[in-house]
Amino acid sequence: MSTNTDTQDHGAHAHHVTPIGKLAATFGFLLFMMALTVVAARLPLDMPDTFGWLSPYFFVTNAIALGIAIAKAVAVVRIFMGAKYASKLIKLYAIGGFIWFTQLFIMFFDYGTRNWEEVRGWEKVPSSSLPRNRDSDAGIPYPVYPGSHAGSEMSGTSEASGEAGSGH
Amino acid sequence: MAAHAHAESIEDSVYFQYETLEQQQETYILGMWAFLLTEIMMFGALFLAYTVYRFQYQRDFFIFHEQLDWKLGGLNTVVLLSSSFSMALAVHYHQIKKKAATLWCLAFTNLCAFGFLAIKSIEYGEKFKHHLFPNDSFVWDAALHGGNPEHARIFFSLYFVMTGLHGIHVLIGILVITTLMVLIAKNHRLITDYIPTEMVGLYWHFVDLVWIFLYPLYYLIPK
Repeated sequence: MSTNTDTQDHGAHAHHVTPIGKLAATFGFLLFMMALTVVAARLPLDMPDTFGWLSPYFFVTNAIALGIAIAKAVAVVRIFMGAKYASKLIKLYAIGGFIWFTQLFIMFFDYGTRNWEEVRGWEKVPSSSLPRNRDSDAGIPYPVYPGSHAGSEMSGTSEASGEAGSGH
Repeated sequence: MAAHAHAESIEDSVYFQYETLEQQQETYILGMWAFLLTEIMMFGALFLAYTVYRFQYQRDFFIFHEQLDWKLGGLNTVVLLSSSFSMALAVHYHQIKKKAATLWCLAFTNLCAFGFLAIKSIEYGEKFKHHLFPNDSFVWDAALHGGNPEHARIFFSLYFVMTGLHGIHVLIGILVITTLMVLIAKNHRLITDYIPTEMVGLYWHFVDLVWIFLYPLYYLIPK
């Protein structure tokens, strides 16, 4: 179904004209994957035990949702954005974008190895130009919410907030 | 090969700092990719913040996400994917020098962009009506829905910041596409080849990419 515009392949980075058929097929793929991700996310809600043996359940569903999203992203970058037909330098940039994005998540080494520190909600602190945790500390309890992890231990105390979670 | 066909007409549009047309075009496109990497840095930090809180409050996030209409979100996904397709077609037609087809494809892309913003404004309106915009009027009825109100505030803050920043990108896209259409229609001397369309296309596909991730992360949170 493609026209005869897809004629050159020898030039490393001369402008490649992506045939309409290829673009349409990519579009179809994207729509199909979009439908698939909705089905994958919505269907098991009524039968949460269906995938119970693939534990933990939400890890699997998240992996499916993100896997589909990544597949769609790769299709867009390769075909629509033309990275597949581009020079090696541009490919490097495209891949670099993915690598950079995943590198951000190295931060989870920090989050994963320390305690979650519950801090006072900002809306409970009177607005002031003074630095927080100094003048405004006196008499303002940490908020206590049902189900919060550390609220009861921390309320009313004047521990320095930076160290509050590390003792427990 | 198209380069042979319009080589003589386009030769004079190679600026003095470039050796060849190919080098010039690749420089433009590489510059656009470099810009898109900075965009990834901006959105990436927000996705990271989202991941931190989603990881911590997965249960609550599932409850909060039921306030978002996955059908409207899905419709918006289809609208954006269609706009990306027509944008790719616009580049295709510009490469083979079909001006009218290029303009029609760009017009359709713009129409989809407006459609996206219209649907998004309906969604935002619903959230404002139900006091789910995280300002002073924010109300989360924990007795009715469950979930921690403070975590709800975090969820809707992230939702509005990320979809809002994305919406601003769509808005900028409309401005850029409209400008491009005017320049092409007027045969402006800035438009010597398809590269301006290609660059706008790269930007527009990036906007689409962000939404591809936003949609499952906000509208389709599993239990």
